[in-house]
Amino acid sequence: MPSSPLIMTSVTKRFGTFTAVDNLSLEVPDGQIIGFLGPNGAGKSTSLRMGLGIMEPDSGEVELFGARPNVRALQQVGFLPEERGLYKKMTARDTISHFARLKGLSAHDARTRADELLSAAGLEEFSRARISKLSKGMAQKVQILSTLAHRPKFLILDEPFSGLDPVNQQALEDLVRAEHARGATILFSTHVMEHAERLCDRIVMMARGRKVLDGTLKEAFATLGQGARISVENGFDLSSALGPKGFEAVRTTDAGHGETWRIDLPPGREAQDALRAAIEAGAPITGFAPEEARLRDVFVSLVGEADAAALAASLAEDEAA
Amino acid sequence: MRNILLIFRRDYLGYVKAWGFWLSLAAVPLFMIIGAALASFAAQSSPVRYYAVIEPGGIYAEAIEAEFQRREMANAERTSELAEQLDLPVMSEDEARAAAEGASIASRKFIPVPAPADSIDGLRPYLLGEKLVSGPLGDKPLFAAFVLAEDGGELEYWSDDVNVDQLRYLAQDAMLRLARRDALNKAGLGEDFLQKVDDNAFDVPARRIRTIEEQDATGAEVTMADRAPMFVAGGLAYFLWLMVFSIIQYLLMGTIEERSNKIFDTLLTSVKLPELLAGKMLAVFAVTSTMMLSWGLFAFAGGTLVATQIPGVGSIIEPFLATLANPAIIVPGLISFILGYIMYGMIFMALGSLCDTIQEAQTLLSPMMILLMLPMFAIFIAFQDPGSPLVDIASWIPFFTPFLLILRMPHDPPLWEVLAQMGLMAGFALLILWLSTKVYRAGAVHGAGIGDMGGMLKRMVGLKGKAV
Repeated sequence: MPSSPLIMTSVTKRFGTFTAVDNLSLEVPDGQIIGFLGPNGAGKSTSLRMGLGIMEPDSGEVELFGARPNVRALQQVGFLPEERGLYKKMTARDTISHFARLKGLSAHDARTRADELLSAAGLEEFSRARISKLSKGMAQKVQILSTLAHRPKFLILDEPFSGLDPVNQQALEDLVRAEHARGATILFSTHVMEHAERLCDRIVMMARGRKVLDGTLKEAFATLGQGARISVENGFDLSSALGPKGFEAVRTTDAGHGETWRIDLPPGREAQDALRAAIEAGAPITGFAPEEARLRDVFVSLVGEADAAALAASLAEDEAA
Repeated sequence: MRNILLIFRRDYLGYVKAWGFWLSLAAVPLFMIIGAALASFAAQSSPVRYYAVIEPGGIYAEAIEAEFQRREMANAERTSELAEQLDLPVMSEDEARAAAEGASIASRKFIPVPAPADSIDGLRPYLLGEKLVSGPLGDKPLFAAFVLAEDGGELEYWSDDVNVDQLRYLAQDAMLRLARRDALNKAGLGEDFLQKVDDNAFDVPARRIRTIEEQDATGAEVTMADRAPMFVAGGLAYFLWLMVFSIIQYLLMGTIEERSNKIFDTLLTSVKLPELLAGKMLAVFAVTSTMMLSWGLFAFAGGTLVATQIPGVGSIIEPFLATLANPAIIVPGLISFILGYIMYGMIFMALGSLCDTIQEAQTLLSPMMILLMLPMFAIFIAFQDPGSPLVDIASWIPFFTPFLLILRMPHDPPLWEVLAQMGLMAGFALLILWLSTKVYRAGAVHGAGIGDMGGMLKRMVGLKGKAV
């Protein structure tokens, strides 16, 4: 079996004059959880749909389990699309078993698996309820269960956390971890960086159709210079005080009770070193905080404020939904 | 194949589990029973009405009565002929006459009564229902009165109800016969002169030209066996039309449901697009077939019930069964049927994939109905005159070919034409399949709408269009 369930090489997709995905190369190593990040419109869903063979790329190549996407390879894949939808008149149990059968399970196994999953998800009593009678959250759970019913080797989840309340988001995170522990490779797209931070081994960042980062979390954070924030009072010039000691300080805010400076940490130096240097320089310190880098900061540093604003807009849309 | 069956199963069960399916299934036999019951009730419950004739000598009343009897006799003769065809016990002429006379009392809807007054003014309160007249069925208002005009040139018909005209028309016929009889008598020819003339006229029996061997075997008379192929072909063509007409709604609504439920991506990561389309087409075919088979079974059960009562019905059905077993008619018929279904079904399914809402689909229904009415007109013309040049030409238009080829088969068209039209139909069905799959993919995968169709078609034929 190939070590990478999905390999995309120099894939481009255009819609008229608009380039949705531009020369994307991506490899999803077996057994990993990969986060596919970026704001709405960054090209994530189009990339995933090309990866699944739903759409043909205009150029480039896609290999799913070592071949062009085909039904046999897709039987090993569980896909949760961004735009959720089920047959409203089907029952929860029939829905899960129908999709499981389409993925190759026998009628008996599909029904047994549906019962098992519904029971595990606490939806046993709704197993014979029509999808139209379920709440939106429950229907979404049923769709997620349909994606998992055939125990896929490779899970592709497009914005899986979108539309879920915090409790169900946590439950889904647990489910992703459980599937990963079972041995599944997982690729999920999101514009909520926190989920990726908590779950992913690797992340791929997209902006305006182009890949801007592909690496581990550590590698992602390494793209940001580390820093610390020190607040001082009485207009103390921290830049002059720390400059000779090898730290660059930039005044960021004046909060009324003093000024906060952001200190760039040179490679090999820690936040504590900057604090010690400031004390030694006699700075009247009122606050100190080592800077915790977030993926959002990585994203901003890579793509700039314009795309970061698009990301914020995506989050706002998600919250509104 | 497994995936096709799974898609078929889901769609089929989805349709047949819906209330609408069972309502439609029950509606036809139910309405047939209700319609027959209502017609029978209407016939039986239609009121018996009194009429009177004011005239000096009773000639006109007698002529009207004679016309009633003549019609009843003619009806009895027609019934007798039908009974003879069906091997039912046939009444003798005297029995028929007696039955007709009996009917004149038992089932006549207009009964003459003596006029309660001798002028229209005197009859006015009776005709307006203010007074009743006595008759064989008790006291009733007078429904109508015939009054001989003062100059003797007209028999005026008076009634308060101007909508029920049967009695007036019957009286008109009676007057015509009376005038003829008088004219014949004056000419000294006798009342039955015209009848004798009619009886002496040459009959023109239909004979079908056959080979000598065939003629020796079956004779030259035109029988039901000669007409059955056209009836079967007509039935098949109409059945195809009805099937296509019925599937519009299923294919449109089913595809809209999937599009609005945003389910295509999930499906297309489990099955190939051709499998999805094939499963859906089969499901709709099965749904309409289930419906029509159920109605057919209902008709068959009813027919069997009638057949047990009528011994000769088997000889009528036999030629139809023989036609259904004739490969020269049924093979091209079935091929036309399947290709026609694929052609029209794929068009409707592709259009459905471009619609987000039922309202949007409804805007498509009118052009679709017009598209479907054209074959209906073609079927009508072909049934009336299968050899018409218009039918010959229209049968080369692929949208009409499935219907018209079926209808032409009983008339032994040249083999090359049959093969060429079947080839043309197959080629066109493939083209439609290709185009519709493209449109369906654009709708299902790319979310294209009806407004994008122009651009899509332009790109398909190589012209530049807006991408979707």
